[in-house]
Amino acid sequence: MNELDEQLRELIPRLRRFAVSLTRNPSNADDLVQACLERALSKWNDKRPDGDLRAWLFSILYRQFLDAHRRSRRYARMLEFFTDRDDAHPSAERSVIAQSSLQAFEQLTTEQRALLLWVSVEGLSYQQVADILGVPTGTVMSRLSRARQALRQLSDGEITRPTLRRLK
Amino acid sequence: MINMPPSESDLHAYVDRQLSDDDLRLMETYLGTHPDVAARVRAWQQDVQHLRTALSGALQQPANPDLDPAMIRQHLKHRSRRHLASAAVLLLAVSVSGYSGWQAREMTFISAAAPMADALEAYRLFAQQGILPADYQTGDEGSMQGWLDRYFTQANRLPDLSGAGFKPVSGRLLSTEQGAAAMVVYQDPSGQKISFYVRPPGPKNYLLPRGSRRDGELQAEYWSGPGYNYAMVIPSDTPTVQRLKQTLDF
Repeated sequence: MNELDEQLRELIPRLRRFAVSLTRNPSNADDLVQACLERALSKWNDKRPDGDLRAWLFSILYRQFLDAHRRSRRYARMLEFFTDRDDAHPSAERSVIAQSSLQAFEQLTTEQRALLLWVSVEGLSYQQVADILGVPTGTVMSRLSRARQALRQLSDGEITRPTLRRLK
Repeated sequence: MINMPPSESDLHAYVDRQLSDDDLRLMETYLGTHPDVAARVRAWQQDVQHLRTALSGALQQPANPDLDPAMIRQHLKHRSRRHLASAAVLLLAVSVSGYSGWQAREMTFISAAAPMADALEAYRLFAQQGILPADYQTGDEGSMQGWLDRYFTQANRLPDLSGAGFKPVSGRLLSTEQGAAAMVVYQDPSGQKISFYVRPPGPKNYLLPRGSRRDGELQAEYWSGPGYNYAMVIPSDTPTVQRLKQTLDF
């Protein structure tokens, strides 16, 4: 138990970072991490991972985020009209503010953010990511390639269209 | 082994350091002679580097004590208790209401239905399976009586079972349709458990004739006293309990 808790403690900053990159909001992110840890600890006896603890936790956290996101989107469709947040696709309007790589990163889709964080930042293998997403490694590679392409374009401001700048 | 010229995926695998040593050498040779491809790859590598730097700040957040595994475990434990406890209360309410419907029709003593089904149910949840946490724990008979008296005025005294080696160890409040009920668990040195159960007879004052009922591996002895209905729940067929029954005088 204590050994597991120690391992978990070490991974918490990484989980929080991943959660922030998904939710873009530190307090929602911590709620997500908490839900993830609860799930992990309550499943530990039946479903503990054979391999990398970190990849297993990422996968729990990611699924919980998607579930919560799906649920909230069902109710949020109406509200979307009034907000400027559309998580699904980076819009041309928003790309004008892509000045730093972080801003560019934040405009990627949820899955693209997760992919880049797992592979480029956390250094997970393609196979681990394939296991998390439940897709073949080939699919991981092609999605990653698209994500990286999108990040590149956003960082370069290639698709900046200042005439579409949103007026606030 | 990758083929030359490298595919798009191979280039990404190179950036992600997922190529084997042989492939890595092959790729580096190729990039050395193809500056346009090398420039694209370098741009991706730079993006990776920038992203790492940009996201490294997010690792430095001040710790959130709510996320500590010890805290999470505690939280989980409380929640599952609450969850099970409310499930148990629901169960008791259902089993008791099942029979208050019957009571309403018959308007008489409970005799044909299963009297004190809630006492047996509470024993299973509380004493046998340990699903419900105790509200009160003690090794001292006097203080257990004090605990009970806080909720049930002028109830029967807790029976003294020390002759058979049983001492009251824990108490738990439960809810029934008739109002709050309580269960006191007695334990002997071998870990055998029996329970004393008190509940109000309800607004219609349904009192029980003295009786005894066997339900599976358990035996309920029940009776009514001043203002309350009582039951002792005892696991039948164990020698200690046989001895207890002989010495017991409710």
